[in-house]
Amino acid sequence: MEELLEIARKASDQVEVYSLDQTADSVSFENAKLKDIDSKLQSGISLRIIKEGKLGFAFTRNLISGEEFLQNALDSLKGGVEAGFDLPATRDLAQLDTYNPAIESLTNTTIVDECNRICEMLAPRTNGQINVDAGRVTSRMRLLNSNGTDLSSRSSLYYCRTAIMYPGSYSSISRLVVFKHFEETPDEHLNFILHTYNKSLKEVSPRGGKMKVLFLPDTIYGLIWRLQSATNGKNIYEKKSPVSEKLGQEIFDRQLTIYNDPLNDDIPGARSFDDEGTPCRYFPVVENGVLKNFYYDLHYADKLKASPTGHGFRSAMWGGDSIATKPTPSLDHLFIKPGDKSLSELIKSIDRGIVIAGVLGAHSGNIPNGDFSMGLSPGLYVEKGEIVGNVKDAMVAGNVYEVMKNVLAIEDTLYPAMMGTFPAILFDSVSVATKS
Amino acid sequence: MFETLRAIISKTDADYADIRYEILRETRIVLNGAELGEIGSNTTDGYVLRVLKNGGLSTVAFTREIDAEKAIKSALENALLLSRNINEPVVFAPTEAIKGTFLPPLKEDPRGIPIAEKLELTRHYNDIPLKHEGISTTNLQYLEVAREKYFASTEGSEIREDLITTTISGLITSKDGNLIQNVRVGIGGSTGFAILRNREEKFERKTGIALDLLRAKPVGAGVYNVILNPDMAGVFTHEAFGHFSEADLVEDNPTMREKLRIGAKLGNNVLSIIDDPTTPDQLGFYKYDDEGVTARPVQLLRDGILVGRLHSRRTAASFGEPLSGHSIAEDYRFAPIIRMGNIFIQPGTNSFEELLEELGNGLYILDARGGQTSGENFTFGAQYAYRVKNGKLGEMIRDINISGNLYLTMQNITAIGNDLMLSETGGCGKGQTNIRSCMGGPHILVKSVVIGGA
Repeated sequence: MEELLEIARKASDQVEVYSLDQTADSVSFENAKLKDIDSKLQSGISLRIIKEGKLGFAFTRNLISGEEFLQNALDSLKGGVEAGFDLPATRDLAQLDTYNPAIESLTNTTIVDECNRICEMLAPRTNGQINVDAGRVTSRMRLLNSNGTDLSSRSSLYYCRTAIMYPGSYSSISRLVVFKHFEETPDEHLNFILHTYNKSLKEVSPRGGKMKVLFLPDTIYGLIWRLQSATNGKNIYEKKSPVSEKLGQEIFDRQLTIYNDPLNDDIPGARSFDDEGTPCRYFPVVENGVLKNFYYDLHYADKLKASPTGHGFRSAMWGGDSIATKPTPSLDHLFIKPGDKSLSELIKSIDRGIVIAGVLGAHSGNIPNGDFSMGLSPGLYVEKGEIVGNVKDAMVAGNVYEVMKNVLAIEDTLYPAMMGTFPAILFDSVSVATKS
Repeated sequence: MFETLRAIISKTDADYADIRYEILRETRIVLNGAELGEIGSNTTDGYVLRVLKNGGLSTVAFTREIDAEKAIKSALENALLLSRNINEPVVFAPTEAIKGTFLPPLKEDPRGIPIAEKLELTRHYNDIPLKHEGISTTNLQYLEVAREKYFASTEGSEIREDLITTTISGLITSKDGNLIQNVRVGIGGSTGFAILRNREEKFERKTGIALDLLRAKPVGAGVYNVILNPDMAGVFTHEAFGHFSEADLVEDNPTMREKLRIGAKLGNNVLSIIDDPTTPDQLGFYKYDDEGVTARPVQLLRDGILVGRLHSRRTAASFGEPLSGHSIAEDYRFAPIIRMGNIFIQPGTNSFEELLEELGNGLYILDARGGQTSGENFTFGAQYAYRVKNGKLGEMIRDINISGNLYLTMQNITAIGNDLMLSETGGCGKGQTNIRSCMGGPHILVKSVVIGGA
């Protein structure tokens, strides 16, 4: 890498070399039986160069010739992609606890045994189909640039998602656990899945209309996706945000505080610097309902004459390849501040409403405008504080800038979920469409 | 290349092994509004090794040749761990060993066209929406993906096939005050660069829709009778029905497998669905799948009755059904999984006007914006729609997301148009992305669809 940095420095004004080595093992159980074990051993290098205000970009899996690789980046300079920014000189960052060496001695046999344990615990207590997906990922990344930055990060992850599925479908009640090393899925999670599934097994067809809706942590991403879009520096620059003029204004209910905290190393994946070398920090997006910040990478910070916020990540959706992806503004460590009600208290407080345990189609609809319209998969119908069954063919819809003003209460516990670490949130008066 | 691959699999002490090596050359040009966000060509490569031993099947993907020994060791350990823990050993349906090369015929090989010309064409299309005041921005991407694949198996197959996909696709965004609307646009396919030329009309039409949407009214939540245009019919077929024709998704789900048994009456008599990757000149074309099986057309639904399924070698054996050649990987980072190639509703006899007349009152829904399914239930979005009153098209409406039950909806498809169209761009996500996923259909009439509203 140093060698590549040296030869690239001679041909350009600024150089950045990013490398990533990853190993992953995944184990899947379907219908309480072992189905697949897959492994990956992947590495790659990505190069960015800046010359006369223009950006060159190249990536490869196997660095055979540094000269040829550099030539690829030099060729892409000719396209004329603007780069008005300077690569940061970052050093002396706080060490985060992101890697537990115990992950190295974790065998696939142990993971298979754990999945078997979960299936054996659940099977006698439910008629639903049990699926478990577990695995581990270890990665080592390094970031070097010609301004003296030389940072590295090593991380370990063990994950396990347990689901009980409704008959005839892939709709399920599930819980995910993540650790930096192997740990058994605690009983409380398995009991939650069992209890919630068994209570909701009956199919019910309630009337639609506006009602109380409890979004469980796994479904919060359907709402947060819209906020991520609206506060992304790229969308501010491209005039695709409905809140571009609303910094300092109350856009959501005062109970909502939504922040990015890459430094929180209690959970896997913490980072002290982003994929461009900008230091990361605690970063409120919405505080007590008030819009606080937009997030930037180096490029969009430069475009908008703002300071970089440490959000330049090579995040690629839909399983994209981070080596092949340029840094882009990205909220990768989102949290919502917990409230003061337990999940059962939240459910008890619903006279008539829906608990959403899974959503379909969160990615469709007019995301920039804040609109959502998602299928319930499943939706659990609640009457007088009790789950009485599951609802099919139903949708929840609205606009986050209206719905998120009507928070009734927030759960007191956070869970790892899609797009962040979230509690369940109870909203008032959300539109639910059903067949009846 | 085959020599290296043969050497790797010959070191694998297994009942069966195969290896796929791929060189992936990708050219990407990204325009955000008038600004160039990215441009360049890059080549990456890697290997996927699969091992079947004592009934355990395991896959290891690796990117460095020096990791081959390590990959073999992990694959064998995983296969043995599987074989000790599964009730039914994995068996592969027999297939003939193929030695062959398939390089697709292209109308203008994109690899031979200078990147400056690609940029110029992308900019040309990008300028069409940008010259309108109500258009706030565009995000348009030229993407050219060339997969050069080498497949070798211990059964003696040695196959080289190239898959070359060229698309220009993205979003046109309009804005009026705080109201933001967007429309997807895409052209392209697997037949070469020529398909991208002279397509101004499509960008002009989509720009008009993005502008009109600023004045369209949101739809109210409720249950409607609808006509879906070919693009929406394609997404319905792919998302709601097609995924459950993929044997790996139902293999270990006994309740779904029971509902989806061959011979089950699932749809209205007018409904027939086929997956045919072998149709020439469409996005999803391939000759051999990533297990070295020759692709073939599969009639899935005939007159409403389930008559076929998409298979890998593993599922064809476990279901006792014919091989179909539908086991496909995104690229060298992934094991092959069962994917649709080119799925569509077969055309019927009704003209669009006849469908409107039969609909009477309802909605005419156009152009998909993503969908998802949980088996029985599906949800997908549309870009826009028109109200239909007494068989006549009325005002434009927006915020259309539909949801339904697969089985009821297939019964509720009561009339099929005669105007089949297939998609030009794809992007199915099932853990991996399949950019060549082709889908389509004619206009179709569907009764009682739930619309989420806004």
